[in-house]
Amino acid sequence: MWPPLIMRLRIKNTNHNFGLWLPLFLVWPILLVLGIILGIILLPFLLIAAVIFWHLWWVRPLLFGMPVLFQLVCALRGLKVEIEQNSERFLVHFW
Amino acid sequence: MSDNQRRILNLLAENKISVEEAERLLALTGQPTGSGVGVSDTVPTGKSKPKYIRVLVTPDTGVPENKAERVNVRVPLNIIRAGIKLRSLMPTEAANKVNEALRSKGIDLDVRNIKDEDIEQLISALSELEVDVQDGAQKVRVYVE
Repeated sequence: MWPPLIMRLRIKNTNHNFGLWLPLFLVWPILLVLGIILGIILLPFLLIAAVIFWHLWWVRPLLFGMPVLFQLVCALRGLKVEIEQNSERFLVHFW
Repeated sequence: MSDNQRRILNLLAENKISVEEAERLLALTGQPTGSGVGVSDTVPTGKSKPKYIRVLVTPDTGVPENKAERVNVRVPLNIIRAGIKLRSLMPTEAANKVNEALRSKGIDLDVRNIKDEDIEQLISALSELEVDVQDGAQKVRVYVE
Protein backbone atom coordinates (compact mmCIF):
# COMPACT_ATOMS: atom_id res chain seq x y z
CA MET A 1 0.00 0.00 0.00
CA TRP A 2 1.52 3.29 -1.03
CA PRO A 3 0.27 6.87 -1.09
CA PRO A 4 -1.02 8.56 -4.26
CA LEU A 5 1.71 9.68 -6.63
CA ILE A 6 -0.03 12.47 -8.52
CA MET A 7 -2.87 14.80 -7.70
CA ARG A 8 -4.79 16.67 -10.35
CA LEU A 9 -6.88 19.68 -9.44
CA ARG A 10 -8.96 21.74 -11.84
CA ILE A 11 -11.27 24.59 -10.97
CA LYS A 12 -13.08 26.54 -13.64
CA ASN A 13 -15.74 29.17 -13.18
CA THR A 14 -16.59 32.60 -14.53
CA ASN A 15 -13.80 34.22 -12.51
CA HIS A 16 -11.09 31.56 -12.44
CA ASN A 17 -9.64 28.92 -14.65
CA PHE A 18 -7.09 27.00 -12.62
CA GLY A 19 -5.42 23.68 -13.26
CA LEU A 20 -2.74 21.95 -11.23
CA TRP A 21 -0.79 18.73 -11.55
CA LEU A 22 0.91 18.07 -8.25
CA PRO A 23 3.66 15.43 -8.27
CA LEU A 24 3.05 13.93 -4.85
CA PHE A 25 5.86 11.42 -5.48
CA LEU A 26 8.25 14.33 -4.95
CA VAL A 27 6.44 15.61 -1.88
CA TRP A 28 6.34 12.35 0.11
CA PRO A 29 10.12 11.84 0.32
CA ILE A 30 10.60 15.43 1.46
CA LEU A 31 7.92 14.99 4.14
CA LEU A 32 9.47 11.69 5.16
CA VAL A 33 12.92 13.20 5.63
CA LEU A 34 11.49 16.15 7.55
CA GLY A 35 9.47 13.79 9.71
CA ILE A 36 12.48 11.64 10.52
CA ILE A 37 14.61 14.65 11.44
CA LEU A 38 11.88 16.20 13.59
CA GLY A 39 11.16 12.84 15.15
CA ILE A 40 14.76 12.30 16.17
CA ILE A 41 15.03 15.80 17.62
CA LEU A 42 11.67 15.88 19.38
CA LEU A 43 11.38 12.22 20.42
CA PRO A 44 12.67 12.63 24.01
CA PHE A 45 10.37 15.59 24.62
CA LEU A 46 7.43 13.78 23.05
CA LEU A 47 7.94 10.74 25.27
CA ILE A 48 8.15 12.85 28.41
CA ALA A 49 5.06 14.85 27.43
CA ALA A 50 3.17 11.65 26.64
CA VAL A 51 3.92 10.23 30.08
CA ILE A 52 2.94 13.45 31.84
CA PHE A 53 -0.23 14.13 29.84
CA TRP A 54 -1.34 10.51 29.23
CA HIS A 55 -4.59 11.06 31.11
CA LEU A 56 -5.70 13.71 28.63
CA TRP A 57 -8.07 12.45 25.94
CA TRP A 58 -6.13 13.80 22.94
CA VAL A 59 -2.73 12.27 23.72
CA ARG A 60 -3.53 8.71 22.66
CA PRO A 61 -5.08 9.66 19.30
CA LEU A 62 -2.15 11.97 18.63
CA LEU A 63 0.43 9.26 19.32
CA PHE A 64 -1.28 6.31 17.67
CA GLY A 65 -3.05 8.21 14.92
CA MET A 66 -0.05 8.51 12.60
CA PRO A 67 -0.22 4.98 11.14
CA VAL A 68 -3.98 5.34 10.70
CA LEU A 69 -3.49 8.71 9.01
CA PHE A 70 -0.96 7.13 6.67
CA GLN A 71 -3.45 4.40 5.77
CA LEU A 72 -6.09 7.03 5.08
CA VAL A 73 -3.74 8.93 2.79
CA CYS A 74 -2.84 5.71 0.95
CA ALA A 75 -6.55 4.94 0.58
CA LEU A 76 -6.97 8.20 -1.36
CA ARG A 77 -5.44 6.56 -4.44
CA GLY A 78 -8.16 6.35 -7.03
CA LEU A 79 -10.37 9.03 -5.51
CA LYS A 80 -11.99 11.14 -8.22
CA VAL A 81 -14.54 13.88 -7.83
CA GLU A 82 -15.72 15.65 -10.95
CA ILE A 83 -18.58 18.14 -10.95
CA GLU A 84 -19.84 20.16 -13.90
CA GLN A 85 -22.60 22.71 -13.73
CA ASN A 86 -23.28 25.28 -16.41
CA SER A 87 -19.85 26.65 -17.24
CA GLU A 88 -18.32 25.73 -13.87
CA ARG A 89 -16.16 22.70 -13.41
CA PHE A 90 -14.39 21.15 -10.46
CA LEU A 91 -12.09 18.17 -10.62
CA VAL A 92 -9.84 16.52 -8.08
CA HIS A 93 -8.22 13.22 -8.86
CA PHE A 94 -5.59 11.20 -7.00
CA TRP A 95 -3.66 8.36 -8.64
CA MET B 1 -26.45 -41.86 -6.07
CA SER B 2 -30.23 -41.69 -5.84
CA ASP B 3 -32.70 -44.33 -7.03
CA ASN B 4 -33.86 -42.15 -9.92
CA GLN B 5 -30.32 -41.71 -11.17
CA ARG B 6 -29.62 -45.44 -10.89
CA ARG B 7 -32.82 -46.18 -12.82
CA ILE B 8 -31.79 -43.75 -15.57
CA LEU B 9 -28.37 -45.35 -15.88
CA ASN B 10 -29.95 -48.82 -16.03
CA LEU B 11 -32.22 -47.69 -18.87
CA LEU B 12 -29.18 -46.33 -20.67
CA ALA B 13 -27.30 -49.61 -20.16
CA GLU B 14 -30.30 -51.51 -21.58
CA ASN B 15 -30.32 -49.12 -24.60
CA LYS B 16 -33.89 -48.11 -23.86
CA ILE B 17 -32.89 -44.43 -23.90
CA SER B 18 -30.22 -42.52 -25.75
CA VAL B 19 -27.24 -40.77 -24.19
CA GLU B 20 -28.81 -37.34 -24.74
CA GLU B 21 -32.05 -38.39 -23.10
CA ALA B 22 -30.11 -39.82 -20.13
CA GLU B 23 -28.17 -36.60 -19.75
CA ARG B 24 -31.37 -34.58 -19.81
CA LEU B 25 -33.03 -36.82 -17.26
CA LEU B 26 -30.00 -36.72 -14.98
CA ALA B 27 -29.98 -32.92 -15.13
CA LEU B 28 -33.63 -32.88 -14.14
CA THR B 29 -32.93 -35.08 -11.13
CA GLY B 30 -30.36 -32.55 -9.95
CA GLN B 31 -27.19 -34.37 -10.87
CA PRO B 32 -24.53 -31.79 -11.73
CA THR B 33 -23.34 -32.47 -15.25
CA GLY B 34 -20.07 -30.55 -14.94
CA SER B 35 -17.27 -30.51 -12.45
CA GLY B 36 -16.90 -28.08 -9.59
CA VAL B 37 -17.89 -29.43 -6.25
CA GLY B 38 -19.64 -26.85 -4.11
CA VAL B 39 -20.32 -24.46 -6.98
CA SER B 40 -23.90 -23.23 -6.97
CA ASP B 41 -25.70 -21.80 -9.96
CA THR B 42 -27.01 -18.97 -7.85
CA VAL B 43 -23.66 -17.80 -6.47
CA PRO B 44 -21.73 -15.61 -8.84
CA THR B 45 -18.25 -16.98 -9.25
CA GLY B 46 -15.15 -15.17 -10.35
CA LYS B 47 -16.55 -11.87 -9.15
CA SER B 48 -13.67 -9.58 -8.33
CA LYS B 49 -13.43 -7.77 -5.02
CA PRO B 50 -15.21 -4.42 -5.19
CA LYS B 51 -12.80 -1.50 -5.23
CA TYR B 52 -14.78 1.70 -5.77
CA ILE B 53 -18.17 3.20 -5.15
CA ARG B 54 -19.29 5.22 -8.17
CA VAL B 55 -21.88 7.95 -8.23
CA LEU B 56 -22.85 9.20 -11.64
CA VAL B 57 -25.29 12.00 -12.29
CA THR B 58 -25.95 12.74 -15.93
CA PRO B 59 -28.56 14.97 -17.54
CA ASP B 60 -31.50 13.30 -19.17
CA THR B 61 -31.92 13.56 -22.93
CA GLY B 62 -33.56 16.79 -23.87
CA VAL B 63 -32.04 18.86 -21.11
CA PRO B 64 -30.26 21.87 -22.61
CA GLU B 65 -26.50 21.93 -22.12
CA ASN B 66 -26.51 25.21 -20.19
CA LYS B 67 -28.75 23.60 -17.55
CA ALA B 68 -27.04 20.23 -17.50
CA GLU B 69 -25.34 19.08 -14.32
CA ARG B 70 -22.85 16.26 -14.33
CA VAL B 71 -21.31 14.57 -11.34
CA ASN B 72 -18.78 11.77 -11.48
CA VAL B 73 -17.52 10.54 -8.14
CA ARG B 74 -15.34 7.51 -7.55
CA VAL B 75 -14.51 6.69 -3.96
CA PRO B 76 -12.10 3.88 -3.13
CA LEU B 77 -13.52 1.39 -0.63
CA ASN B 78 -10.14 1.35 1.10
CA ILE B 79 -11.15 4.65 2.63
CA ILE B 80 -13.88 2.82 4.54
CA ARG B 81 -11.38 0.21 5.73
CA ALA B 82 -8.89 2.84 6.84
CA GLY B 83 -11.59 5.04 8.39
CA ILE B 84 -12.86 2.16 10.53
CA LYS B 85 -9.45 1.97 12.18
CA LEU B 86 -10.07 5.47 13.52
CA ARG B 87 -12.68 4.05 15.86
CA SER B 88 -9.92 2.64 18.06
CA LEU B 89 -8.63 6.18 18.60
CA MET B 90 -12.01 7.59 19.51
CA PRO B 91 -12.10 8.75 23.15
CA THR B 92 -14.54 6.86 25.36
CA GLU B 93 -16.68 9.93 26.01
CA ALA B 94 -17.03 10.64 22.30
CA ALA B 95 -17.89 7.01 21.57
CA ASN B 96 -20.55 7.04 24.29
CA LYS B 97 -22.10 10.17 22.82
CA VAL B 98 -22.13 8.62 19.35
CA ASN B 99 -23.74 5.44 20.71
CA GLU B 100 -26.38 7.50 22.54
CA ALA B 101 -27.19 9.46 19.40
CA LEU B 102 -27.52 6.24 17.41
CA ARG B 103 -29.74 4.67 20.07
CA SER B 104 -32.02 7.71 20.07
CA LYS B 105 -32.55 7.07 16.35
CA GLY B 106 -33.36 3.45 16.98
CA ILE B 107 -29.97 2.03 15.99
CA ASP B 108 -28.60 -0.26 18.68
CA LEU B 109 -24.96 -0.25 17.70
CA ASP B 110 -21.73 0.14 19.63
CA VAL B 111 -19.22 1.86 17.37
CA ARG B 112 -16.33 0.48 19.43
CA ASN B 113 -17.35 -3.11 18.68
CA ILE B 114 -17.27 -2.86 14.91
CA LYS B 115 -14.74 -5.39 13.67
CA ASP B 116 -12.74 -5.49 10.46
CA GLU B 117 -14.57 -8.69 9.44
CA ASP B 118 -17.91 -6.88 9.72
CA ILE B 119 -16.67 -4.19 7.35
CA GLU B 120 -15.40 -6.80 4.88
CA GLN B 121 -18.82 -8.45 4.92
CA LEU B 122 -20.46 -5.08 4.37
CA ILE B 123 -18.14 -4.31 1.46
CA SER B 124 -18.80 -7.73 -0.09
CA ALA B 125 -22.53 -7.13 0.23
CA LEU B 126 -22.09 -3.71 -1.40
CA SER B 127 -20.88 -5.42 -4.56
CA GLU B 128 -24.55 -6.18 -5.33
CA LEU B 129 -25.60 -2.56 -4.79
CA GLU B 130 -27.01 -0.73 -7.75
CA VAL B 131 -29.27 2.30 -7.61
CA ASP B 132 -30.79 3.87 -10.70
CA VAL B 133 -33.00 6.95 -10.37
CA GLN B 134 -34.45 8.97 -13.19
CA ASP B 135 -36.65 12.00 -12.62
CA GLY B 136 -36.90 13.44 -16.11
CA ALA B 137 -34.14 15.97 -15.59
CA GLN B 138 -31.33 13.76 -14.39
CA LYS B 139 -30.23 10.19 -14.21
CA VAL B 140 -28.56 9.16 -11.00
CA ARG B 141 -26.66 5.92 -10.81
CA VAL B 142 -24.91 4.54 -7.77
CA TYR B 143 -23.01 1.27 -8.04
CA VAL B 144 -19.89 -0.55 -6.96
CA GLU B 145 -17.12 -1.69 -9.26
